[in-house]
This record gives sequence, C-alpha cells and structure tokens, in this order.
Amino acid sequence: MTGLFKTRLQRHLREMAKYLRLVFNDFFVFALLFFLGGLGLGYSNVLKQLRGHEWWAPLVALLVLTIVAQIGRLATLIEDADRVFLLPKERAMHAYLIAARRYSQVIAQATQVIAIFLLSPFLAVTLGWSVTPVLFLLVAQVVLKDTLLRLDLASAYQVTGQGRMNRWPIKWGLSLIILACGLWITPIVAVILAIVADVAVVVWFQQHWQTQQIRWREQIKIEDNRMLGIYRFFNMFTEVPMLSGTIKRRRYLDGIFHLIKPTHEQTYLYLFSRGMARGTEFSGLIVRLTVIGMLLLYFIRGKWLPVILAALFIYLIGFQLLPFFHQYDDIVFTHVYPVAAVQRLKSFVTLMTLILSVTAVLLWLVVVFANQQLLPAVVTLIVEALEVWYLARIYTPQRLKRSAENRA
Amino acid sequence: MALEVSHVVGGYSQIPVLKDISFDVKDGELVGLIGLNGAGKSTTINHVIGLLTPHQGTITLNGVTIDQDSQAYKQQIAYIPETPVLYQELTLREHLEVTMMAYDLDHEKAWTTAHKLLKTFRLDNKLDWFPANFSKGMKQKVMIVCAFLTPAKLFIIDEPFLGLDPLAVNDLLTLIEERKRQGASILMSTHVLDTAQRYCDRFVLLHDGQVKTEGTLSELQAALPEAGESLNDIYLSMTKVDRS
Repeated sequence: MTGLFKTRLQRHLREMAKYLRLVFNDFFVFALLFFLGGLGLGYSNVLKQLRGHEWWAPLVALLVLTIVAQIGRLATLIEDADRVFLLPKERAMHAYLIAARRYSQVIAQATQVIAIFLLSPFLAVTLGWSVTPVLFLLVAQVVLKDTLLRLDLASAYQVTGQGRMNRWPIKWGLSLIILACGLWITPIVAVILAIVADVAVVVWFQQHWQTQQIRWREQIKIEDNRMLGIYRFFNMFTEVPMLSGTIKRRRYLDGIFHLIKPTHEQTYLYLFSRGMARGTEFSGLIVRLTVIGMLLLYFIRGKWLPVILAALFIYLIGFQLLPFFHQYDDIVFTHVYPVAAVQRLKSFVTLMTLILSVTAVLLWLVVVFANQQLLPAVVTLIVEALEVWYLARIYTPQRLKRSAENRA
Repeated sequence: MALEVSHVVGGYSQIPVLKDISFDVKDGELVGLIGLNGAGKSTTINHVIGLLTPHQGTITLNGVTIDQDSQAYKQQIAYIPETPVLYQELTLREHLEVTMMAYDLDHEKAWTTAHKLLKTFRLDNKLDWFPANFSKGMKQKVMIVCAFLTPAKLFIIDEPFLGLDPLAVNDLLTLIEERKRQGASILMSTHVLDTAQRYCDRFVLLHDGQVKTEGTLSELQAALPEAGESLNDIYLSMTKVDRS
C-alpha cells in the first residue's frame, strides 16, 4: 500500500512539475522577484517605524500564525475508483494514509518554518524576543501543524460517528489557544500544550482506527476539491484540461433570464445565456478580464492609451468567448432539435453583442471617471461601439461559419 | 409508411458498420430493433436521427429526407438516448422549456402534458433541480418526459428498460401504447427480449451490420421452425449459426 502511494506520488509530482514549469516562466519569475523585493522593502520599512512594545503586536502574530497553521492540507491522492477497487483493502489503507500524511508534512511544515522565519524580525522588534523563544515558538508551531494533520487523518475514519474531529472550530480553536499561550505567557508553555495535544490525538487514533471504516465518499470529495484548487491556480497561467468548471445556480440572475421570451427563435439564446452565466468557466473569464480592464483603466491617463486598452480588452473577451458556440456540440439534442443552424448562430451573435456591450459600457464608465475629459470619453465610446459591432456582428458569424465548414 | 430505411450503408468512418440495411416502421406500429452489442443498433439509430449521413441509401420519414428539409424531418422525431444526455446548466423546468421552444409547441398546452408526465414519473417536485445531479433512472425519466412532451410522429427509444424501476417501465409502456393509438410510430432498440416480445408489433433482427430477418413473431417462428417459440430462442439460434 505504501508502494501504491509512492507510485501515485511520483505521477502527481510529475504532473505538478509540468505545470510549475509553465507557471514559472522567465517573465513570471522576473515579475515575482520584483514583487517579493518590493514586499521585503515595505516590510523592513514598517519594522523601522515600530518602537517596540506595541500592544497589538502579539495579536497580529497570533492572527498570522493561526492562519498559517491552517495552510497545508492532507493530500491523500485518493481517486474516485478507489472506493470500488480498494474497498476490500480497507485495513491496509491505513499504511497508505500514513504515507500520505508523511508526504503532506513536507510542504505544510516548510510553510510553518518559513512563516516563523519571516515573522522573527517582527517578534524581535516588537516583543524583544531573542533567538531562543523564537525557536521554541517554531517547535510549538510545527508540533501544532502535526496535530492538525493527524486530526485530518483521524477524520478520514468514522471514528466519532457523524462528528468530525477536524471541523474548523476545533482546528482554529486549538491553534488560537496554543499560540496565544506562546505569545502572551511563554513559548515553552505552547510547546508543552502542543505536545500534549499531539500525543492525545496519536493515542486516541491508535486505539480506534482498527475498528473504523474509512469515509470513502467524503475523502474522495475532499481530495477532488484539493486538486481542483490546485488546477484553478494553474489555470490562471495556462490551460488545464482537467478543469471543466462548476455550475452555480445563480438564482439572482433569473430576472434577467426571464427577459428572454420563450419562442422558437430564441431557443438557443435561452440555452446559451443560462449556460454562459451558470458555468463558471466562461462567466469567470468575462468577469476577471472586465475587472482587470477596469482596474487598469482607472490608473491610466492619456489621450490614446485608454482607448487602445479598452479596445484591447473587448477584443480579448470577445475572442475567448468564441469556443462557447461549440459548448453543446457533444449533446445529441443540439443536433436532434428541429432548430435551424442559422438560428443557433443568430442567438450566439445576440448573446455576444449583449455581453460585449455591457463590458464596453463598464470600461467606458471607468475611462470617463478616470480622465474626466470630453475627448477621450467620446473617442472611447465611438471606438468601442464600432468594435463591438464588428466583432459580434461581422467577425463572429464569419469565423464560426468557417470553422463549421472545416468540421464538416 | 412512416419511416423507411432503404439500402443504407453507413458508419462512423469510411469503414461501413451497416451493410445495406432496409426496413420500415408503419404508422401506429412499434418495431423492436434487436441485436447483440456491436450489431449496429445504435449506428442505425444515429443514422435515423440525422447524426450520421449514410454513404449510400436513403432514409425517408413521411416522404421527407433530411437533405430535402432538415427542419421538417427533425420536427417529426423525438429521441430518447440510451445514456441520458442533459444540459449541465439547466434545471428540469428549463429542460422542458427548451424542448417546447425547440419544437415550437404551445406552452400552455405543453405544460399541461408536462405536468401529467411529471406526476406519472414522480418528478413533479423536482422542477427547480439540476437533473445533471439525478440518479441514472431519474435522468432517464427526464429524457422520457422531454420526448413525450412533443407530438412527434416517430419516437426513437434506445434501450429504455435498463435503469428504470418496474413502475416506470410499466408507465413507459403505457405511454407508448397511447401514442401508438394516436398514430405515432416507435422504433425501439433493446436487449430485454421478453418485454420486447410482449409489446413489439414487429422485429428487425440485426446481426453484424445486416438485417438477418424481420417480421412479426409468428412470421419469425414460421421462418425458423426448429429454433423455438420465444424471441429469445429465435435470436439465440440465429446468432449461433454465425458463431459455429
């Protein structure tokens, strides 16, 4: 079973390495260095302004360390098929889960060490701590994280019936108590408390796991969510095929959807609009790009730069929406419904016009607000109107017709 | 003559799966399409619903082919796929509405039919749910409700009995009966031979991309007298010849 985990871990690490290579390209590393440099400079400037013995300093440290203690989840690498194929091996899964916990320790504890390291100048300046108490706090933090990971592992089993040992009030409460003792009393107390908690969890888990079932469904869901989070992160930099997005009901949009009359001609507008808004993949893209565009335009002044930027963002959004036309090609009813292909294209063009118009208006408002001059406002409006018209009404149908011919 | 498939050669690629297939489904008739896995049932159905274009041969539905007038052709068909296919982002209510819009139905009348169907299949309290999260049987019921919402002249039902509870199977058969009486034709593929034997008017036995034989049960019995009484026996004996 440890062998199984090792094989999976190798595959997992290979995959992560593949994505990390894509994320940390030259440009990004460059930007990141600048960002970290700036952040470091800011931090040292803040430290210089502190006079020591600030009453809020332990509170800040407590907050930071408590949050950091929650970073680093239990990575089980459990897959959906496991609940069928590994079910007969339930007892043997224990070794697998232990291996998973060991692996999870690496990243989790590295984070704790780095956090304490970064926080140590702050502790030295405000609380006047020397190296020894900082080291004790480090030990307390690491043991605490170990306890939290063990709680996660124990919760993989149905140890306490329906109750979970790793509910967030328990984890946050435990961290707050132990770290508060460390910061206000003395770090040694925190170390002792953390060790007591850790040993308690170990002993209690040892006594119980042999007689308990694994919560397969829940563990699979947790692991899926964990991977989804990682893929989402990578998806900001590159295409991730595993990510198809999730569906949100978004009831508050129902009012807008009701404006679409349920007639034969509107069949696809009805479908496309709901699909676009409720799926996170495309709606997220639109929102992200619009917000970034608005932020950029807010800070940028000038005669032509805002016009060019606004046009660029509309183009970017419009261009990335094109694949949505084929979103439902895999669904047989798209071909079976007696709706002419022309109608489908028309609906898509309408939707495209609507979305791009809303984005254009939002970007335009920011341009007007930021510049407060007549000329850029008018020019931007005219350029945007022309662009939306051309992109949605002329370019989109042409392009989609061509791609349809290529497919046939 | 509702559906007429004549001398169709076709398949997914250049290599034909169907080798010169001909059969028909008359008005008010339930025809069972019987065959082993890979015999060509689904391929035949995909040709009929217009997902695939035949290499040779024609498929006419009440005098129209899909090339002549695809809208008029598709308007007459309602399809229930073997594996339920749903729009992830639409609720059950919206699935029904899209169907009504696509087939250009009168909404008020269609909703009356819909509510009756929903009640029959015990889905009436799930209108605002996403059917994509339903169990397989319930998804299949959604497919049935959507299909029988339309006044289609030809219903194409791919393997309807697997995954449905006995009550739903019974309700589906009643629905089929009712539409037959109104003059609709049904083409149904299935492996559940004893149910097929009881309800189908005629059978088309597919084997290896060819129509082995077709006809009513008594015609089949007459053609293969030594095979046995039931559809099951006849079918097994037919495939055995090929195996030996």
